[in-house]
Amino acid sequence: MYVSDFTYLRPKNLEEALDLLQNKDDAVALAGGTDLLVELKTGVRLCSHLVSLADVEEFKFIKEDEKSIQIGAGITHSQIMQSSLVKEHIPALALAASKIGSHQVRNNGTLGGNICSAAACCDSAPVLISLNAQIEILDATNKKIIPLEDLFQGNKINTLKKGQLVSKVIIPKTGKGTGVHYEKFGLREAMAVSVVSVSVMLKIKNESIENASVVIGAVAPTPKVSVAAVGILIGTPTHLLVEKSDPILRVSEAAVGDSIPIDDIRGGAQYRRDVLFSLTQRCILKALESAQKNV
Amino acid sequence: MKKIININVNGDNHEVAVRPGTTLLDLLRDELNLTGTKKGCELGDCGACTVILDGKAVNSCLVLALDADGKKVKTIEGLAGSKHLHPVQQAFVEKGAIQCGYCTPGMIMRVVSILDENPDPTKEEIKKALSGNLCRCTGYTKIIEAVEAAKAYINGMEQPEIEYQPQKSALDLSVVGKRLPKIDAPDKATGKALFTDDLAFPKMLYGKLLLSPLPHALIKSINTKRALALPGVKAIMTGDDVPDIKWGTSPPRYDENVLAKNKVRYVGDVVAAVAAVDEETCYKALQLIEVEYEELPAVFDPMEAMKEAAPRLFDDKYENNINTHIDHHFGDIDLGFAEADHIREERFVGNRTYQNPMEPHCSIAEWDNHGRVTLHTSTQVVHYVHHQLSRILNLPLGNIRVIMTYCGGGFGAKAATTTIEVMSCFLAKETGCPVKMRFNREEMYLFGRGRHKQYIDLKIGVKNDGTITAVKHKAILEGGAYSSFGIVSAYYAGSMLTTLYKFANYKYDGYRINTNLPPCGAFRGHGCPHPRFAFESLLSMIADDIGMDPIDIRLKNAMEPEYRTCNDLDIHSCEFTACLEDVKKKSHWDSKRGNLPKGRGIGIGCGGFVSGAGYPIYRSQFPHSNAIIKILEDGSKAMLYIGDADIGQGSDTVLAMAACEAMGITMDRISVVSADSDLTPIGFGAYSSRVTLMGGNACKMAGEEIKKQLLQAASEILNVDANILEAKDNKIYVKDKPEISIPWEDAGFAYFSNNGPLVGKGHYSPPKGLGGKYKGAAVGTSPAYSFSATVCEVEVDMETGKVKVLNFWDAHDCGTAINPMSAEGQAEGAVVMGMSEVLFENEVFDKNGKMLNADLHNYLIATSADMPEISSTLVDSYEPAGPFGAKEIGEGATLPILGALANAIANAIGVRIFELPITPEKVLKAIAEANKVNSDS
Ligand SMILES: Cc1cc2nc3c(=O)[nH]c(=O)nc-3n(C[C@H](O)[C@H](O)[C@H](O)COP(=O)(O)OP(=O)(O)OC[C@H]3O[C@@H](n4cnc5c(N)ncnc54)[C@H](O)[C@@H]3O)c2cc1C
Ligand code: FES
Ligand code: FES
Repeated sequence: MYVSDFTYLRPKNLEEALDLLQNKDDAVALAGGTDLLVELKTGVRLCSHLVSLADVEEFKFIKEDEKSIQIGAGITHSQIMQSSLVKEHIPALALAASKIGSHQVRNNGTLGGNICSAAACCDSAPVLISLNAQIEILDATNKKIIPLEDLFQGNKINTLKKGQLVSKVIIPKTGKGTGVHYEKFGLREAMAVSVVSVSVMLKIKNESIENASVVIGAVAPTPKVSVAAVGILIGTPTHLLVEKSDPILRVSEAAVGDSIPIDDIRGGAQYRRDVLFSLTQRCILKALESAQKNV
Repeated sequence: MKKIININVNGDNHEVAVRPGTTLLDLLRDELNLTGTKKGCELGDCGACTVILDGKAVNSCLVLALDADGKKVKTIEGLAGSKHLHPVQQAFVEKGAIQCGYCTPGMIMRVVSILDENPDPTKEEIKKALSGNLCRCTGYTKIIEAVEAAKAYINGMEQPEIEYQPQKSALDLSVVGKRLPKIDAPDKATGKALFTDDLAFPKMLYGKLLLSPLPHALIKSINTKRALALPGVKAIMTGDDVPDIKWGTSPPRYDENVLAKNKVRYVGDVVAAVAAVDEETCYKALQLIEVEYEELPAVFDPMEAMKEAAPRLFDDKYENNINTHIDHHFGDIDLGFAEADHIREERFVGNRTYQNPMEPHCSIAEWDNHGRVTLHTSTQVVHYVHHQLSRILNLPLGNIRVIMTYCGGGFGAKAATTTIEVMSCFLAKETGCPVKMRFNREEMYLFGRGRHKQYIDLKIGVKNDGTITAVKHKAILEGGAYSSFGIVSAYYAGSMLTTLYKFANYKYDGYRINTNLPPCGAFRGHGCPHPRFAFESLLSMIADDIGMDPIDIRLKNAMEPEYRTCNDLDIHSCEFTACLEDVKKKSHWDSKRGNLPKGRGIGIGCGGFVSGAGYPIYRSQFPHSNAIIKILEDGSKAMLYIGDADIGQGSDTVLAMAACEAMGITMDRISVVSADSDLTPIGFGAYSSRVTLMGGNACKMAGEEIKKQLLQAASEILNVDANILEAKDNKIYVKDKPEISIPWEDAGFAYFSNNGPLVGKGHYSPPKGLGGKYKGAAVGTSPAYSFSATVCEVEVDMETGKVKVLNFWDAHDCGTAINPMSAEGQAEGAVVMGMSEVLFENEVFDKNGKMLNADLHNYLIATSADMPEISSTLVDSYEPAGPFGAKEIGEGATLPILGALANAIANAIGVRIFELPITPEKVLKAIAEANKVNSDS
């Protein structure tokens, strides 16, 4: 195996990086390399200029303001797992990060790389999308903020244009009564790509669901909000959300209805639907549990 | 263009020029010559390349060297001080956590980082934390023990003593029967042990193979012009440039070309070979070779392949693509079934699995100026490579030297000659330079030789009391494009079904079918695991049918010592019943069976194997194992020269132990040279679980010859009769008066001074005339057979179908375990490998025969996080044909696992899955179908 020829560029800061990405032909950003190097080695991708983000310190922060937690694109999954801010405000993201690859992969793989790779099975996006996360996109001249959902166009296809980088993910802080949970189903106990994943966010007010989000992963070309599931959840009294209760089953059926899974080497479409059905139920109950604790 | 980087490795600053595409792994290995860090998959999936980069464990194969500019790297070489091993290394050595040692450096670096981050991890935390480091040998059990021991060392805590009850047959022995660390473990723990890919020679070139992209095609033309013009390319060879000779594994089925002649038969078949200054240039050259193919229809399913109109892989042989057909009938099955009170027949289907040793194959060939070629290679079978090269190169054995380096596991994947072993010789001759060739992970799968997928129709008849009256077995083995070991696999699939249970009437119909897929060969348990899975499954189903406990039905029919099976295999020692009773007790079978909640299940499975094949792979009269021991002139050391190969299973250590016991010295007094055709006498190598018994006997015999001569020398010094002397623990003494003694080395010194070199020779051949007289009677014969039983407990998630294996309680009759720690390591490794095969593993191909999961990302093998609790027992047993009573455990230990796990799953979910692997998807489907049937009725 070898990596085909390219020119390696190592900008010293963000500005230089954006400039190079804009002006060099066929330039690709390199973050942790855990996706990109695999693609280059297996020949599914070629590039003539690799712009290493190693020295782009501007991407390496986790901070908070009044309304949100902000995570730089260059933060690794390990850093997310260890961050006290993340653990306090978005424990479900730390959980999702812990389920990515191996320790070694998490030590190099970044949040930015994970979402920009835009794999349908990507493990960080469902939680983030269920929290209405936004991303900041920069290029040499502009800056814009869009919902994370809109970064995903199809399996392994993102909506970025030439010269653009994702600089950070902005996750709104949730109020009291909110709980989020992530369930991932892979074929072995560790180091397994998601066959199905679900993230559920619930916000309780006056003993019923005031707000909710259900995001399903690996069962459509992109992580996807199940609008139908959310519709059923909102307004449901919490005491009805118990194991195998009618609303829980209906929500899970709705999530399955919104999925468009495919048959692949990891599982058939029907199997994915079946697992999604069970996983959604579990995820709702766990999310509810944490919402109820978070008073 | 190269760029200069500055990097600090293990405290040393290096200024190196690197190409943009160079990974940190290649920088360390190729530029800095730090080859301790290993290359297993190159894609982040195996962890063999783990190093610590600026304080964090990373896969160095996924880091660009240029990105590591200015950083600090710590590798395995930087861990040990000059005198002492790092505590983690020490623990790995002592606890038997190292077998082939290929995963070891990465594993140790990861453990160091785990303990840095958390000095007191729980067992569960360790299992999770290590899951990015794959090990194919150990089953992770001893690795976890080592981490716990290292934790204790580092924290200055007490080490828990291992409770071990020695076997009775080893009680009076001094070396054999002791739990000793492997002699190669410290070198493997420090990255010092050199595997073939760790070697480099002056002027060395690299070679690569061009593989067919089509499953079946005629080669119309090959144009190498553009490729040859590429700077750095030194030679290109095609089918026209190599001798027109067929080769393979079993002589009646030599059907492979060195490079394709006119035709390719599967995606991965070898079309051409390139030598160039580096691998990158080779790959580029491969892309420039223009091959014009005429595509032929291909066939991938063995049932289709047998049909009249199916495309034929070989025009001149194997009619209907039937590569081998076996028709065996012993006793009379019609009579047997007529006697039965209950008969059941079912179809079982196995899976196409690959051995996946962690070390990819690698070979380096170099010619000298006297017409001799030396091949360094990662193989299990130095002698068969030697023999095959002699045929293909048309040279006497004496003009070829085959040296096995450390070998990073084999499990059958390296049990025969490979294309790179042959082609590196040709390319080296062509270019006049040493040539290194290695497979990457994908090429390993495509070279193939993994497990045949078997379609098995099995019928068993029993009396009401459980006595087996007849067995009918039909197996169709999907064999891929070439024969490899296949003919033997097909025979083994039938012959070994008779060794566990006594029955008189047996019919076996075996077919091995060629398809346009990578060739299948011999994988741990060779041919037997699928039929054994079928048999153990069906036997448990029948027990349920007749209301008998599955262990009782096994006890009822259990093999006994000194029994001749219906197909003429001679069983000698046999403690199968003891195995069954042991696992029954320690698993609390009686209280669990029938009392577990839904979703939990328990199952029994049994197995057994040959302790070495009774006959060689090609006809020869050579003894199968041979040993020479040479005592140094001052008597301080014994050098053991043995042809058999240590592929990680620990044979160097075990054979040295047998030799030491025979000579009366301790393990610090011996050194081993193995598997080098110039230095060591021929040994058939590591396959058919033969080395402990056969190599062990040869070493014991050589040791005894030394001892005899030494006692004579000592008797002259002590002035007593030699036959009242004994040698033990480095002393020679009078048996009845041990106080009259001299040091062993003094006798050695005296011997040499008076007589010149002190040498002992040993050899072993299986007893003549093993087996019956019918065609194929040789396969399955062995001087001794192993037996084992295992109980498995699982928990199944009834909503997703996911199986969690909780426990394996296994017991083995391996005779006297020469080194119980290694024997347990074999058993634990077999448990996890067998479990992995049942739950995860399967080669998948698209409709054009292209393999879709030829990596470790999509072809899953068990990680440490999947590992169950394993409790292995070695029952008391003594095999007269084995050295000090020993027989095999390496392959046999895999056999009970498949059936036990399948039975446990069936017990948990209330339905049976007949096809491997038992994926969550199949489990869920089976549960749903069963629910449907229940609600319909
Ligand atoms: C063995 C293994 C197991 C894995 N398991 C999992 C898993 O379980 N779950 C999972 O989700 N993923 C998994 N992955 C995939 C991968 O590790 C993650 O997606 C990781 O987060 C990618 O991050 P990176 O920094 O390595 O990205 P890179 O490989 O550096 O980049 C990935 C892509 O994103 C682009 N990119 C990176 N940063 C930016 C940015 N700031 N702006 C714009 N584009 C950018 C790059 O140009 C490239 O196209 C696994 C990978 C391996 C090798
Ligand atoms: S070689 Fe790097 S992870 Fe396998
Ligand atoms: S010892 Fe782990 S792969 Fe061999």
